[in-house]
Amino acid sequence: MLIGIDVGGTFTDGVLFDGKKVLQMVKVPTDHQNIKDTILSVLDEVREGNESEDLERIVLSTTVVTNLLATDSIEKPGLVLIPGPGLPFSSYEFFPHIYFIHGAIDFRGREIEKLRKEELAELVTQIKSQSIKKIAVVGKFSNRNPIHEQTVRKFLLEQIPGLEICVGAECASRLNFRRRLVTSYYSVMTQGKWQDFTSEIKQALSLRKISCKVDILKADGGTLPLDISGSQPCETIFSGPAASTMGAVALTRKKTNAVVIDIGGTTSDISLLIDGDPLYASKGANINGHYTHTRAFAVRSVALGGDSPVMMHDGKADLGIQRIEQAACFGGGQPCVTDVFNYLYDLNIGNAASSRQSLQQLANQHNMDIDNLSKRIENIVFDRLQEAIEQMFAEWENEPAYKVWEVVNGRKFGLDEIIGIGAGAGPIVPILAKRLDVQAFIPPYGAVANALGACVSRPTLSVLLRADTESGYVSTDHEGSMKKINNPRAFQLADAKSLAEDSLRELAAQRGVASYASEAEFFLEEQFNMIRGWSSAGKIIEVGLQVTPGLIESFEGVKE
Amino acid sequence: MKQTGVIFFPAFDWAISPTHPEREERLLYTRDQIFEEGIMDLPQIAELKPRMAEPKDIARVHFCVPNVEAQATDAHLVAAGSALRIADAVMQKEVVNGFAIVRPPGHHAKTVAHGNRGFCNINNEAIMVEYLRKNYGLRKIAIVDTDVHHGDGTQDIFFNDPDTLFISFHQDGRTLYPGTGFIEEAGGPLAAGTTINIPLPPETTDVGIHYVLDHLVMPMLEEFQPDLVINSAGQDNHYSDPLANMNFSAQGYARLNTKLNPDIAVLEGGYSVETALPYVNMGILMAMADIDYSNLREPDYHQQHFKESEKNLTYIQRLVEKQLELFRGRQALIKRNREKHRDVFTESERIFYDTDYIDERQNKRLTMCAECSGLRTIDSTAHHQNGMVNRVFCISIPMHACPGCLDAGKEAYASMCKMGQMYEYIYLQNKFNDEYRSFHVKTETEKVL
Repeated sequence: MLIGIDVGGTFTDGVLFDGKKVLQMVKVPTDHQNIKDTILSVLDEVREGNESEDLERIVLSTTVVTNLLATDSIEKPGLVLIPGPGLPFSSYEFFPHIYFIHGAIDFRGREIEKLRKEELAELVTQIKSQSIKKIAVVGKFSNRNPIHEQTVRKFLLEQIPGLEICVGAECASRLNFRRRLVTSYYSVMTQGKWQDFTSEIKQALSLRKISCKVDILKADGGTLPLDISGSQPCETIFSGPAASTMGAVALTRKKTNAVVIDIGGTTSDISLLIDGDPLYASKGANINGHYTHTRAFAVRSVALGGDSPVMMHDGKADLGIQRIEQAACFGGGQPCVTDVFNYLYDLNIGNAASSRQSLQQLANQHNMDIDNLSKRIENIVFDRLQEAIEQMFAEWENEPAYKVWEVVNGRKFGLDEIIGIGAGAGPIVPILAKRLDVQAFIPPYGAVANALGACVSRPTLSVLLRADTESGYVSTDHEGSMKKINNPRAFQLADAKSLAEDSLRELAAQRGVASYASEAEFFLEEQFNMIRGWSSAGKIIEVGLQVTPGLIESFEGVKE
Repeated sequence: MKQTGVIFFPAFDWAISPTHPEREERLLYTRDQIFEEGIMDLPQIAELKPRMAEPKDIARVHFCVPNVEAQATDAHLVAAGSALRIADAVMQKEVVNGFAIVRPPGHHAKTVAHGNRGFCNINNEAIMVEYLRKNYGLRKIAIVDTDVHHGDGTQDIFFNDPDTLFISFHQDGRTLYPGTGFIEEAGGPLAAGTTINIPLPPETTDVGIHYVLDHLVMPMLEEFQPDLVINSAGQDNHYSDPLANMNFSAQGYARLNTKLNPDIAVLEGGYSVETALPYVNMGILMAMADIDYSNLREPDYHQQHFKESEKNLTYIQRLVEKQLELFRGRQALIKRNREKHRDVFTESERIFYDTDYIDERQNKRLTMCAECSGLRTIDSTAHHQNGMVNRVFCISIPMHACPGCLDAGKEAYASMCKMGQMYEYIYLQNKFNDEYRSFHVKTETEKVL
């Protein structure tokens, strides 16, 4: 038995899935003040009547960290930056309590400017005087050599016992200092609360005598064991759209180029599948207007859903952004998007007469024809969705390219189908697909695709390895330290790949998902000959190995 | 927000040869630096995608022997196309200015292209200039070549074009490739004074180069009033460049771009891949995007090591005076040339292709037209290293040709196609009608772009 729970902005969905059939579906309003209780009540409801069944796995997609980041209530950490030469320090001043210190590492990991002892002492005084309890230490090129970050951490911990510290290289190991400092800052800010949450969940589960695997769904559509998620709170943001997209992948199970539209009450989330695989946001997840190193699906949200109310604006029919109540056909007093489609296409949803009546009433009030009014709203819905879809295609097609073959071959999104999930998809997606002249697919269980997607998603893992045979060092992102290469002149791409494979196997074992290591594929293989004078001085090799988002091995589709 | 467009195209899968300076590694550390800085994430920067140039864009500038495909590989088309993409973005006000950090470079590629010289096959800036004129109706354009090597290709292409002000400062040709760029090279008879060369002594520093900028380049631009300013942005004036001997710094390059305020910058040479390029590229980008670059410096830069010598400065001052005088007297010079050369001006030139070892001889002819910049023909013979000899005849009709030169050009092409048996190809570059013909004499087949 698998359980998937997705905490959404309005509702929390849960499913109980036996590997073939959905046995239970639950939807409860989300209590943002107490997400833990919401999760537990969904958990209890989906298990009702099946408590004796063996649970294999629970996967949670939660908004705990997202909410923490959205509110101002949480204590602001300090941020120690070691930027060295480059952009002006003023371009990093987007958080309070920033301390700049001297020191610099270059792109090859060489120290080009030393830390200054007196500055570190001064730093301690400042941190103490401002009673900072949490701090992130981030250096430019710390991914190439974390020595400065580590030295600062050691010094601060000696001087201020109990200080909670995150260092950049351990939070984010790819290039991009700005994203690294943002990711580290938000990590140290939320990790305490996140750890509280995970231990509360563990406690509640043990009270219920549940001892199965518990995983967290990440923004990249992969899962991570709850036990080891403590230091990576940022990975859990935006897992809602990831759950929906993975749900679409699970319900479709085709190598297709598709648009996935998850139409909810007042928002529609749009994501893309390319040859069956979800597309990632090229710049990482954006939190509060800042790019981060958190890998997330490219998702575009449109403020439009089945419950979006039809309103008059400057004498013209338009859509309201805030949900007022449910659609008229479900007993609401005001016509909504669902009512418009219900009326125009005789969909017979709920009380179809109410859809008509509410629209007629609004039309009468404003001396309009009900058909014109409805058609106008329909066009607004399609125009907004279509515009968002086309922008996503264009963004993907116009992503920068750094190799000749990438430019020569170009990119064109050839759309095969639109997959509609979420409660509001049924009425809207088939007609949108017709307009775009492609197939529509509204899978069964689409209304709980998010929770279903969560419970059948597999872990994602990745290792980035960099070898600089001229300096004689190799490092991987998740180990953080630089190791000497034994015989650097003989070190080849194949050696780098095999080291990366070892490293990924080790990582998989640590996370209790050893069996997935064999699924890994190389997504990056770069090799540069370093020429100094006119002869070879060494090589710079970078390889990346990953287990991409996908479905657990045992999953073979959902029976109706 | 006003944005600066950037195309970063390092061509990580292209090299002239594995150990050549123009190799995959060239922009690797620049990639590391600009990506680590996260400058592409800033709201004032828009990273644009490269595209490919069309064969016709190339033919508008070059006579490629035997054809465009032979001289412009996919990598060249992407580098040139990236410049065109930036040009479109600037002209369509998508961005306020733009920097194409692309390779392979182009400023040594001349009008006739038999092969690669000075690491260049086709001239990215020249292709962009003619594209801008064709597509956006621009006329007066200034190109400031800040590469340490004389921009002899660009000079050759615009030598007879009075609407292009080509300014190149570089290490003196007596001490560095390509051995040209002397003050006497000042434009063809009908475009005298719009090619301005500033050969600088080795070891010139920020002080010397900024003296040239303040007292010569900026005043000339002020007086010329171009529709667009292009920085042909080589980075090998840098003190760490392995192929040259100048003492310019990243700060110096950044300040140069602040002053010059180019609409478009296109990367040219620069082979100090670790110690210059990451910092100079950042500097140019920051200057163009109006980002404070006071914190930008090379790890080993110490200002006190780079003092301009009194001797250099005196030389530079005299040079600046002389060249400003040349520029300001250009109308009188053209008038004198008309009297002196009457109907036709002829000259010959010998051109060496260092990369591909080609020895080319040209006999050039210019109609001294009273109405336009004149019809040009080039009779070009190239001796390749393997003994192959290519002789071609090239006819160029200017974009703003008078009816007389237009007809004469077409007639010359028609008659050469009939009678030019000693040539392998006859080419007609008709910029007036934007039509480019090539005729293979042996098979009598014609191609039109």
